Amino acid sequence: METFYHKITVVFLVLIAFVPAWGQEERELGSVSRTYAITNVTIIQSPGRQVDGGTLVIKDGLIKSVGKNIAVPPEAIIIKGDSLFVYAGFIDGLSRVGVVKPREEIREKIKDPGNPPPDRAGISPYVDVRNFLNTADKNIEELRAIGFTTAHVVPYGGMLPGQSAIISLAGKSADDMVLVPVSSLYSELTPNERVYPVTVIGVMAKWRELYRQAVQAKSYEAVYASNRSGLEPPATNRILVSFNPVIDKRIPVLFKAEKFLDIQRVLALQSDLGFSLLAGDIKEGWDATTKLKASGTKVFLSLDLPEDKKKDDKKSEEKKDTITVEKDQLEKRKDEFMAKHVGQAFAYQQAGISFGFATLSVKTRDIQPNLRRMIKAGLTEDQALAALTINSAQLLGLSDRLGSLDPGKIANVIISERPYFHEKSKVKYVFVEGVPYKLDSKDSKKEESKIQLEGDWSLTATTPQGKSESTLNITKTEGKYKGKLSGNQLTETAEVNEIKLEGRKLNFSCLINVQGQQMKITIDATVEGDFFKGTVQVEGADSFPVEGKKVPKLNR
Amino acid sequence: MKKLSIALLLISVMYPAVAQNILIKNGTVLTVTKGVLVNTDVLVKDGKISQLGKNITAPTGYRILDASGKFVMPGIIDAHSHEGIDAINEWSTPVTAEVFVGDALNPFQISLYRALAGGVTTIHTMHGSANAIGGQCETIKLRYGVKDPKELIMNGAPRTIKFALGENPTRVHGGGNAIVPRTRMGVEFVMRESFSKAKEYSAAWDTYTKNKTQKGFRGTPPEYNYRLETLAEVLKGNILIHCHSYRADEIYMMLNVCKDFGIKKIVFQHVNEGFKVAPELAAFGAMASVFSDWWAYKFEVYYSTAYNAAILTRNGVTTSINSDDPELMRHLYHEASKTQKYGGLKDEEALALITINPAKQLGIEDRVGSIEVGKEADISIFSAHPLSIYAVPLITIVDGVVRFDREKDPDDMRIYVDPRAEIDMADFTEGHDHDRCMQGAEDMFDTLFRTN
Repeated sequence: METFYHKITVVFLVLIAFVPAWGQEERELGSVSRTYAITNVTIIQSPGRQVDGGTLVIKDGLIKSVGKNIAVPPEAIIIKGDSLFVYAGFIDGLSRVGVVKPREEIREKIKDPGNPPPDRAGISPYVDVRNFLNTADKNIEELRAIGFTTAHVVPYGGMLPGQSAIISLAGKSADDMVLVPVSSLYSELTPNERVYPVTVIGVMAKWRELYRQAVQAKSYEAVYASNRSGLEPPATNRILVSFNPVIDKRIPVLFKAEKFLDIQRVLALQSDLGFSLLAGDIKEGWDATTKLKASGTKVFLSLDLPEDKKKDDKKSEEKKDTITVEKDQLEKRKDEFMAKHVGQAFAYQQAGISFGFATLSVKTRDIQPNLRRMIKAGLTEDQALAALTINSAQLLGLSDRLGSLDPGKIANVIISERPYFHEKSKVKYVFVEGVPYKLDSKDSKKEESKIQLEGDWSLTATTPQGKSESTLNITKTEGKYKGKLSGNQLTETAEVNEIKLEGRKLNFSCLINVQGQQMKITIDATVEGDFFKGTVQVEGADSFPVEGKKVPKLNR
Repeated sequence: MKKLSIALLLISVMYPAVAQNILIKNGTVLTVTKGVLVNTDVLVKDGKISQLGKNITAPTGYRILDASGKFVMPGIIDAHSHEGIDAINEWSTPVTAEVFVGDALNPFQISLYRALAGGVTTIHTMHGSANAIGGQCETIKLRYGVKDPKELIMNGAPRTIKFALGENPTRVHGGGNAIVPRTRMGVEFVMRESFSKAKEYSAAWDTYTKNKTQKGFRGTPPEYNYRLETLAEVLKGNILIHCHSYRADEIYMMLNVCKDFGIKKIVFQHVNEGFKVAPELAAFGAMASVFSDWWAYKFEVYYSTAYNAAILTRNGVTTSINSDDPELMRHLYHEASKTQKYGGLKDEEALALITINPAKQLGIEDRVGSIEVGKEADISIFSAHPLSIYAVPLITIVDGVVRFDREKDPDDMRIYVDPRAEIDMADFTEGHDHDRCMQGAEDMFDTLFRTN
């Protein structure tokens, strides 16, 4: 309990350390008009459908027209697309982008581990991921910056964490982001640590029991509804009721299934119970194609790949002893399996399975290199693009709204310098529902030299309880930035020994003292002119969005 | 092209899993149930033993294995193993009848191949012994090389379930979580209470189903309960109990529980004090699966003897010798031969301990466990009599497929390889420290005094 109070105190002190300040800065470009025209540009409407030197018109969040000789509306904001390439926004089939992880609470020990309350057993299928969406999650911005505009997001949790939603990677509020609520029931084969079920066999048994109980409860509910007289009223049960849309096949079960044996286990449950299945974040599924295809399962392959460590190939033809020979053979087998990982998407393509991709467990910066590795292993660029766009749109039932650049669809658009899969390709603009986001692709060194960090910055942290403020004074000595952080609620001024600036990325940490309580905070932000935006992480506690604004120097 | 052909070669070496028709020529055939047949041929067709006799001519296309001077025996069956599964113990609660290790089969475990190299063809892979009533077990064939876990299953083998008496369930639940069972009495109570609940559950469903057929019936069905549903199947005799046990008193207690609930079939596992209640076991028709000579690893396992298997056998109890361990599993034929030193069992009796008897305990004796025409072609070929210390297993055949061949035994038999794993090379030149003679001794101390 001591730790619990300590945590509360820390959070509270952080909250009062900052005082409410001004309104939110909008990163969207000007909103003079909601009509945009991208002119003289190479348009890849969908894989294989390319228009050279065409025009794409976006109006009121939708694609208005696309093709050659398109009239540009007079109110349109024109983006000259010379030498640029336009694609439909990418769709992420399984991820937690924008989803807040619920805080770990110190909870009472469970007396009978065989009979835990459902939420402690990882069973919370009634939880709606919409309650955990955070528009300020920096992962949204990062994923958007490489072209993703839509994501199928799931809540955190155990074997039955809750209901997923399909969201746009932009929006002013959680509801504003949501495209399709309750799109699937999300599940994992993840056992609990100390309470039933503690094993995968326990998880599978419990899954079957819950599903069968849900089917039974649903049918009794129907009997009762048709004639209530003389029947015991059915029990209300949030857990069982959550299965109803699955039983009716209105939504699928979305199962995380990374490895070959996970896929087999998930398919075993599916064949026992008969639900529609969506298998996500598949990493080792090259041997499961036949079975997945036969079961009609929809698949999202993981964009994560094992790291390709470049080995120093010692080609010396020395006499090899038995140990070296054995080691070489073992290395070869590792290579063989590395090739299977990298070639998985191609194998699915060859097997005639329409697949999408999932970002659940991949680092965003690895996504583009990994896509290029998959392409090198046999997948064509068109097939990769299809997986990211039309195929995933179709798998998620969104074909009428997303997945290609056709009039009437939602204006989720990527504009890149060079073709997207080119090694030096850079995304310049991303439109989400017709709203443009300009992305920096200039030389970062140049930017850095333009940024003037020295001076006073006013910092605003956005906490669940409101906005709060402090001041950071930055000085530069011998090419190094240092700082002092002060605020009404800070007991003493905090020294910031080193402020790092790489490109436009700002990073520093310091110890602050709030009413005698010391705590370490770390700020990560991106600087744009006289603004920066990022997060403040309180060690051992939460992280909050933070913004900085340069305070103009007074002329004395 | 060269690369491709090497790759193909590698694949064919890795997975020699082609069903073949085979003629095993001129071996000494230890049928186990029908005596020893010298200079005899065994014809294997479509995965079954189709003919036994002298000078059988192989039809065209048959693979011929020359067994001159060699010994041909039925594939070894291990009635107690935990190999080939990713989860063993759902230890969170004293009764977990609903869980099933068959849900977590893992055909990639290398221990399965190593067991094949010891002549084993069928294993009973079991739930652990943490719970008074544990989970359901699975009988699998060692078809090493298959990837789909379903292909390991011996289809049609009866369902089985693990029960456990004594120190394990009382330590985990009573000692660990301060819940029933804390004592041997508590274990008995858990069994009786669970069976009673299952009876009530069955009865409630029977009543409901019966009433439902009547016109104008209005009523609420009992809530579906996977655990009680499974226990009801145990009571109906559709799931065979394999009960972890050591002490004679609690073995006798369990027999009484079975009598009271009308359970006819039970196999006791370990049964170290089985020799004290051998006549009672025989009278009930209960069977026993024992270690050859392993004991004293916790308090309840001190009163033990290497004569256990022989005494049980002589008293008419269907007895097997099991491994419960991936290493012991590789030489169960040695384990069986110990009963000749301790108890003087005849060759056939000793071999039955690892073939037809465990088959009876798993309810698969009409399909495997002996070399007879019509049985599944699960066969091991040894260089010498398998009860000889000089015997080396040469070839192991499962359902007519050669799954192990000592002459074609590549170094790396892994089916799945992790490309991220570091290669950890054994170093033969170092590591002969004197400390080694005490290695593991601390663990042993723990084992003894923490009553682990």
